[in-house]
Amino acid sequence: MSNKEIKNSQTDIEAVASDELSDRRAFFKKAALSVGALAGTSLLANEHASSGEDDPFIMHHVKWGQKLGDPVTKNRYGMPSKYEHNVTRRNTKLLASGNFQASIAVTPIHESMGIITPNGLFFSRSHGGVAHVDPNEYRLMIHGLVEKPLVLTLEQLKKYPSVTRTHFIECPANGGQEWRGPQFNSLQFAKGFMSCAEWTGVYLKDILKDLGVKPEAKWILAEGSDNSEMGRTIPMDKVMDDAMIVWGQNGEALRPEQGYPVRILLPGWEGNLCVKWLKRIKLSNEPFFAKEETSKYTALKPSGKAIQHFYANEVNSTVTSPSPEIPWKDVKVGDLIEIEGLAWSGMGTITGVDISFDGGKNYVEANLKGLVLPKCWTRWSYIYKYEGKKIILASRAMDDAGYIQPTVDQETLITGIEAVYHRNGIETWEVAPDGTVSHMQMRSTLKRDETGKVVIDKEAK
Amino acid sequence: MFKVNKLIISASIAASAAFFMTACNSEASASGASHSGATAASTAYANGKAVIDGGVVYPVVNGKTSDYVVDTQAESMTFNYGRTPTANELAAWDTDVTHIKLPPEGSGSVEEGEELYEAQCVMCHGDFGSGGGGYPSLSKGNAVELQKTLTNQRFDPDADGPSRFFGSYWPQASTMWWYIHDGMPHPMSKSLSVDETYALTAYMLNINEMVVDGVEVDDDYVLDQEKFSKIVMPNVDGFEPEIRGKDGIENVRAYYQDASNFGGQKVNPSERCMKDCLEPTAKPTYIAGTGISDFLPPMSTVRDLPKEEGGFDVKAAYESACAMCHSAFLAPGSSDWDSYTGEGMDVVYKKGLAGTEGGMPAKGGASFTDAEFKTIVDYLVSGK
Repeated sequence: MSNKEIKNSQTDIEAVASDELSDRRAFFKKAALSVGALAGTSLLANEHASSGEDDPFIMHHVKWGQKLGDPVTKNRYGMPSKYEHNVTRRNTKLLASGNFQASIAVTPIHESMGIITPNGLFFSRSHGGVAHVDPNEYRLMIHGLVEKPLVLTLEQLKKYPSVTRTHFIECPANGGQEWRGPQFNSLQFAKGFMSCAEWTGVYLKDILKDLGVKPEAKWILAEGSDNSEMGRTIPMDKVMDDAMIVWGQNGEALRPEQGYPVRILLPGWEGNLCVKWLKRIKLSNEPFFAKEETSKYTALKPSGKAIQHFYANEVNSTVTSPSPEIPWKDVKVGDLIEIEGLAWSGMGTITGVDISFDGGKNYVEANLKGLVLPKCWTRWSYIYKYEGKKIILASRAMDDAGYIQPTVDQETLITGIEAVYHRNGIETWEVAPDGTVSHMQMRSTLKRDETGKVVIDKEAK
Repeated sequence: MFKVNKLIISASIAASAAFFMTACNSEASASGASHSGATAASTAYANGKAVIDGGVVYPVVNGKTSDYVVDTQAESMTFNYGRTPTANELAAWDTDVTHIKLPPEGSGSVEEGEELYEAQCVMCHGDFGSGGGGYPSLSKGNAVELQKTLTNQRFDPDADGPSRFFGSYWPQASTMWWYIHDGMPHPMSKSLSVDETYALTAYMLNINEMVVDGVEVDDDYVLDQEKFSKIVMPNVDGFEPEIRGKDGIENVRAYYQDASNFGGQKVNPSERCMKDCLEPTAKPTYIAGTGISDFLPPMSTVRDLPKEEGGFDVKAAYESACAMCHSAFLAPGSSDWDSYTGEGMDVVYKKGLAGTEGGMPAKGGASFTDAEFKTIVDYLVSGK
């Protein structure tokens, strides 16, 4: 975004202005541009152009251009520019269950580019802290309803011919704090319980080929070796389709936060099912009722019954630019601005995204761009002509399984507002005439009718 | 395509595996990925069974699945890496406890459970499982009564929400036994014996005012394997779809074929609403008050140089590793150290570094250096 670059150049100016280089200070003085004046202008380069003055960063040698840079021996494992330090995972106390071990840190998707999340920004969720596994002591055991149970070391596991696939992982509580209304004026917290990466590993079905799976095997337990022994039941259907045992993430080993050295990946399904620090797979004729598939990760409906084994994250989308964090700035009526977003579906491939400027009343088609892959983040775009008036942006995605995102009302009329998980109702940003972005929702007031059914309260003001 | 007859796989599963993995069937979705080169999606497996999550699959056709090229040579082979685990190894890791797999033999009383709870659990889960400091509550009273709250919906913001606790919500007691034994206590998991786990499970039944096999779990109750097998949780049938029994998988498949079960919206893309799509009663709803904004680190998108790192941040370390108990009146806080410091700070350090039977895990269960840990102790004892 050009806005961002403008902002960058502004902060660079401020950084430089406070630099020890006195000749630069002198230059500023000469140019009659005090730091205060700089802070008050945001379109410095343009203003120079329009006022006929020369841009100091063109006219003067930049400081990094006149001294030696770092040797290649520095930062053997490369790090982002120091100026990018605000692009980071974040957490909030509300989402910590008492401590920051059984907790989540979410991805800054307002700063995300393309469809890959860098490993250091991939959202991090654990139930007993991030385990640090010694790969030399790592063992994977597969047993239960197989003719030949198996133990693999990490080296043995990685001998299987590798498969590489790009998939998102989403916590099913993404957006789950906002069933009863918006709470976060932040894209990072409203939708950042997800990330997308290129994963390398082996299909679990290809390991099972060696083991003689017994016909009565219907389910597996995937269990982690971490403090909480996080485990979940997975149906054999998924195992025999696309479940992977992965050790690679964006071309390097999994990060500890992602289960180093090995996790199970169930493309499109709840992040919680993609068990990290994987130690054991057990095949069974019955499900296991592990803690995280009973006490949590079940979606309570108005009937008082809860959906269990709610696997796939349904079709979903969000506008990523503008966002509450990075609003439109310095825009003039008639300017062309790219509205950009992400769409994803755990049930299949994104087939289209529509965009609305009136909160979801009327839609036009947006454009998909880049790679369009199954169970993967998909980028979409719409070039908007800025009109200088308030708009309410909403995006609505469809997938090849035949699903379209519900309105907030359509979703809550069925699942109520206590489900916690799997919220994929249409998300809305209100963009004020000055470009400021506020998270809000378009929704009706609900009530129970005399039969107990959830209905729209027509009398509500 | 791999050849099924190359597998060392028992006969009947081979048949079903072949179904899963053979070519695309004729029901391939017309709305599948339409860009050239990609194989189409299918709403059913090749055996005709509906896809279990209600979504689609991408069968391998002409060596491709969706846009990915498949290594068909590798797919056609078996590798047989690794080794068979020993009987002892299998027994050591086969620790799950389920509705069909009882805990090992043993027993424990409510009384013993309460004692363990007070020593090792109360600092997080609160008195009688009442919760606190963000940790899960384990009980809010009578399980059968609280189960009735599961239909609560907070359409009125002041209304009570549903009570989702062990007694009122969880479908199986096996989950509790298994989790206590393998995942608790949180800072030092896998440290409780079988009998201790029975005792704590008995205490959980007691504080949830449960009845097992017609007998009230009172303060004198002793739980053992036989009695454990008779526990029926009040909310055992409170979940859908039904996953137990021989039809479990079929039930799940059927459930996700009906979008109305889980709030999905199906649409023919050409018929989707483009004009006047919103419920006429829907109105803009904004964040109440200031919403939630206590983000760490604070939200910023500025590009500047980070502030100088100031070495070890004792306050942050305390907040992350100690405050959960020491700031919650569940362990000595800053005002009640006199009875602990009488023997000198070296004794306090030593106990903190090694952990105590009173519930303090070694170094608080965190991975500080000894020097860092002592700094935190000073910070706490000196009144922060």
